[in-house]
Amino acid sequence: MKIMHCPLNGPRNISEFAYGGQVEVMPDPHQCSDKDWASYVFYEKNAIGVVKEWWQHSPSSYWFIAERHNASDDILRTYDPSELFSERVDFTTGENEP
Amino acid sequence: MTTGLVSPKRCADSHGDRHNDGLKLHDLSLATRSGVRGVKASEWLIAQSLHQELKTHELQPPELQPNTLVELPGSRLLMALSTREFWLLEPETEAQASPIPSGHCAPGVWPLYNQNSHAWLVLSGEPRAEMMAKLCGVDLRIEAFPVGTVAQTQMALASVVIAHHLWRDEAVFSLFVDQSLADFAWEALQDAMEEFNSVQ
Repeated sequence: MKIMHCPLNGPRNISEFAYGGQVEVMPDPHQCSDKDWASYVFYEKNAIGVVKEWWQHSPSSYWFIAERHNASDDILRTYDPSELFSERVDFTTGENEP
Repeated sequence: MTTGLVSPKRCADSHGDRHNDGLKLHDLSLATRSGVRGVKASEWLIAQSLHQELKTHELQPPELQPNTLVELPGSRLLMALSTREFWLLEPETEAQASPIPSGHCAPGVWPLYNQNSHAWLVLSGEPRAEMMAKLCGVDLRIEAFPVGTVAQTQMALASVVIAHHLWRDEAVFSLFVDQSLADFAWEALQDAMEEFNSVQ
């Protein structure tokens, strides 16, 4: 069984984790084009190398970031998202809000 | 206070009718549990009456490490699942029928529905760590999983929170599983306990 190190819970079987997509800089949803937003939501660069990815430890619903080489599948490092993100994104001011 | 939480239907041991030190499984789903989650959860706990009780342990919620728990007066336990989520467990207090809380307790603090969302099973006796090794990939032996620690993992491929604590002067595992999986977990545990029937 492949083992992944969860920053909160320690080493766990890989079956306890769910992949959540690559970590990318989010464009401003109120300013960017539909194409840019779709690219952010749906597309990945898919280049060989070390990628930053969102992973969730399912039993604790804990999201974290993993740096993984997508050719060798070696997981190089995992860490709490607070290393990259310092504040919560607020989506409540969209034009479709009541 | 009540001691009648465990119905005959929901108390099984690994030795049939023989009552000895073997494995026993209890259903404490009718006991009280509550919790809070949020960026301000630890500060909110400090502001509550738990503050004084935690001071007797020389602990503040922010100092409660994730995946640990401490015993409080009144046979209660405070369990930290992260720096932002805390469960209060009251194994000797029968739950009261009450409306499901809605809205936040305070800005940045939200109540948890764990009274309704999670079944609470308790595994006591020996060799509970060895038995759990059949169902769970985490090492639950006392050297790796001492009393006062918590593991969030999978048991029989179902998500579970396992807490190692004292209950009625005995070290036990509390197992919290999704309410919809309660029967599955109960049967999986009983099945695993069967192997130890022959232990004398």
